[in-house]
Amino acid sequence: MHSLTTSRARRGLGAVGSAAVLALLITACQSPAAEQSSTPVAGGTLTYASGDAEPTCLDPHVGGNYPQALIAGQFLDSLVSRDADGTVIPWLATEWSASDDGLSWDFTLRDDVSFTDGTPFNAEAVKVNVEHLKDPATESSTGYLALGKVESVEAVSDTVARFTLSAPDSALLESLSMPWLAIESPAGIARGMEENCQAPIGTGPFIVDEWVKQDHVSLVRNDDYNSPPADAKHEGKAYLEAIEWRFIPDSASRYAALQAGQVDVLDNAQPDTISAAEKTTTLAHIDAPRPGAANRIELNAGAAPFSDPAVREAFIRAVNVNDGIESLFFGSAERSYSPLSSAESAGFSEESLFDTDLDEANELLDSAGWTERDADGYRVKDGERLTLDFPVSTNQSIPAEQSLFEQIQATAKDAGFEVRLSLLDLSSWYGVLAENNYDLVSAPYTKVGPDVLRILYHSDGIVPAPSGYFANLSQVSNPELDELLTTASETSDDGERAALYDQAQEIILGGFHILPLYDQQNHFLLGTQVKDARAMPTVSTPTFYDAWLAGQ
Amino acid sequence: MTPGLPDSNPARRSRSRRSVRWLLVRLGGAAFVLWAVATLTFFAIRLIPGDPAEAVLGGPGSQASQETLDQVRRDYGLDLPLSIQYLHALGRLLRGDLGTSYALKVPVTELLGAQLGGTLLLALAALALAWLAALGLSLWSTGGGRFAASLGQGIELTSAALPHFWLATVLIAVFSTSLGWLPPVSTGGPTGLILPTLTLAIPLAGFLAQVMRETLLDTLDAPFIVSARARGESERGIRLRHALRHASLPAISLSGWALGYLISGAVVVETIFARPGLGRTLLQAVTLRDVPVVTGVVLLVALVYILMTILTDAASRLADPRLASAEATR
Repeated sequence: MHSLTTSRARRGLGAVGSAAVLALLITACQSPAAEQSSTPVAGGTLTYASGDAEPTCLDPHVGGNYPQALIAGQFLDSLVSRDADGTVIPWLATEWSASDDGLSWDFTLRDDVSFTDGTPFNAEAVKVNVEHLKDPATESSTGYLALGKVESVEAVSDTVARFTLSAPDSALLESLSMPWLAIESPAGIARGMEENCQAPIGTGPFIVDEWVKQDHVSLVRNDDYNSPPADAKHEGKAYLEAIEWRFIPDSASRYAALQAGQVDVLDNAQPDTISAAEKTTTLAHIDAPRPGAANRIELNAGAAPFSDPAVREAFIRAVNVNDGIESLFFGSAERSYSPLSSAESAGFSEESLFDTDLDEANELLDSAGWTERDADGYRVKDGERLTLDFPVSTNQSIPAEQSLFEQIQATAKDAGFEVRLSLLDLSSWYGVLAENNYDLVSAPYTKVGPDVLRILYHSDGIVPAPSGYFANLSQVSNPELDELLTTASETSDDGERAALYDQAQEIILGGFHILPLYDQQNHFLLGTQVKDARAMPTVSTPTFYDAWLAGQ
Repeated sequence: MTPGLPDSNPARRSRSRRSVRWLLVRLGGAAFVLWAVATLTFFAIRLIPGDPAEAVLGGPGSQASQETLDQVRRDYGLDLPLSIQYLHALGRLLRGDLGTSYALKVPVTELLGAQLGGTLLLALAALALAWLAALGLSLWSTGGGRFAASLGQGIELTSAALPHFWLATVLIAVFSTSLGWLPPVSTGGPTGLILPTLTLAIPLAGFLAQVMRETLLDTLDAPFIVSARARGESERGIRLRHALRHASLPAISLSGWALGYLISGAVVVETIFARPGLGRTLLQAVTLRDVPVVTGVVLLVALVYILMTILTDAASRLADPRLASAEATR
């Protein structure tokens, strides 16, 4: 737009023939724009379009899933945060220290912060929050699991909260940085679940004003805000006056609304719209992979045929993943060769383990006894076809990913594997997993830090939770791996901890238990009028504390 | 009825008595249908594998502890025998209480009350638009010669077959992205209602026009039309005053069905245009296995459907009094 005005001005002035006037005009034209892009302006309402599910409760202590995390960061602060390098940094807690045995942690808290209902933030509030998370009546799962080793919290003084643990937990700080463990007003919690779900009260830069179900949540600025995380760009209250947080489930309408200027930011951008947006000058893209585990296909080693390592290796040799990712994701997803997200510094990657080699796949299957083929070209042993059941959750896999699975199905066929893809709704999908009716599965899991490996690959994770769900879907059961993961979770020395996680990942990859695909996709598209918005380095949720709207 | 009033006329009295009886029978039938729907929904949802307590906790993936599951079972009365739970649910229903949403933790009546208006507005706007379009289309296509007839038939068939999600995407691409005239997602204001209404109305208009045109053509050959023509009435007058009344009869009785169709179409339209409403509530509730909300929406839709059928039957009786007398002689 700007270059258009400039070139028009240039043509018009050519007739006048004064180069001096021209130069003057161009500078006059450009200087406000240059100023506009660097100095934050206060005011305005930002409209955010979420394509994730609408939360059922705005209090992230209840349940604890990603849609809640997306919005909770706007009105709740946590005790600690992470910077872009993954280092834990101060937020509501300024300092912390652990006892030598790792069973007692003291957190020093800021003494100048209040919740938006006027309740002071102090050690007692931290205690109330941990108790709230651990209370069965709260129905917490993510926060509850993350606090598994925390027995109690004691308010030593107003500004010192002491955590007592049942076993050392090297992931405690990472857990506390997650929005699902953010700190809420004790008075707000005391109102009871129904009211607290509608409008949780925190110390955050915005306040929940109104929640119109299936439409939007109105957030208004907290004018007394003084507690940004240590890596924020400014201090004091936010620039934006308000945020309208809309729920727009259809990805095409969401993108159309962004193009039409009806919304300023959207999440869950699909590969085709990311590629379209990158060709424009009016839209920007934030690629913020989620921490914890990478997206991967787990090979169920708990039952035939994948109980045979040779068959697992043959499958990984047979399938061609890279071509599919390239063609279906328009360059928006990069192939991963690690169990951990690229957002995790502890990630260990081994590309050579995942070369495609059809001849080798065939040899491996021959040697494993799958020598015959039936009329359809699938391998058969003792009258049984080499069939792999692959239930796919349509709520969790985007269309591009479902197409990728179809390509994997097609390439696996060349080696004689029959991959049976079934598209299921979330409840049915959990159902077949709980019944152990799967050979391949792709399940997202988000947790800050490499301790996610313990949740996903420790043999304890094969034992189902009372709800029937078990996190170790590849059903890896390896005493050496268990030992490494347990030791790592109790080791406070960073170097030692990293070495242990490296070894653990080598075992997981070397045993052909998983097929890593790419990072858990988190893509935001923004109009270029939105400045200084970023994703939090904790679980990659957006934050609009530093954000401002150009042209206000 | 007091003697001396117009109702002392025996013929009229018997007609009004017939009407009251007709209404009582219909209302009784409605109550029965609602009870059947409530019972079927209650047991059908329980037949789906999965623990309702897990649904409360956000699905089987919640990894909830045994303690939490037990707590939820007690809180929601899920530890009671199924028959007791059923009686409790019926008892609540009689008091107009639909229970509390598992997922949203708010009373279902409150939730549906907030969503009903938006969906009804959308459905009625679409119904009205579809009626107007169908009337215009059928009058034009039956009165404009062979070309108009076959073109009209083509338009009817095509629009009746258009899937909502496809139509919605095309309308957004044309009117929002290319022309920039209308917002792609709901604004809460009247402009945001135009595209969703068009999406629902176009296929329905095609369908209604098919029915209307057929009846219109049949009627135009009927003896009373021939005699009207013989009396020298203008063709336009005949079509508007005589034929249309007959042609609208089957379309009126279809309108009850159409409203049900529109509410189910609202699931797609409300999702695409990000409008709050019953359809979107139902979709979300099914995904989350939110039993009380699913039951509530199903009952509400059944109720609207039943009321509309009664209303359209009454309208048909007004448009064609022979229907009422036919019942009396049966």
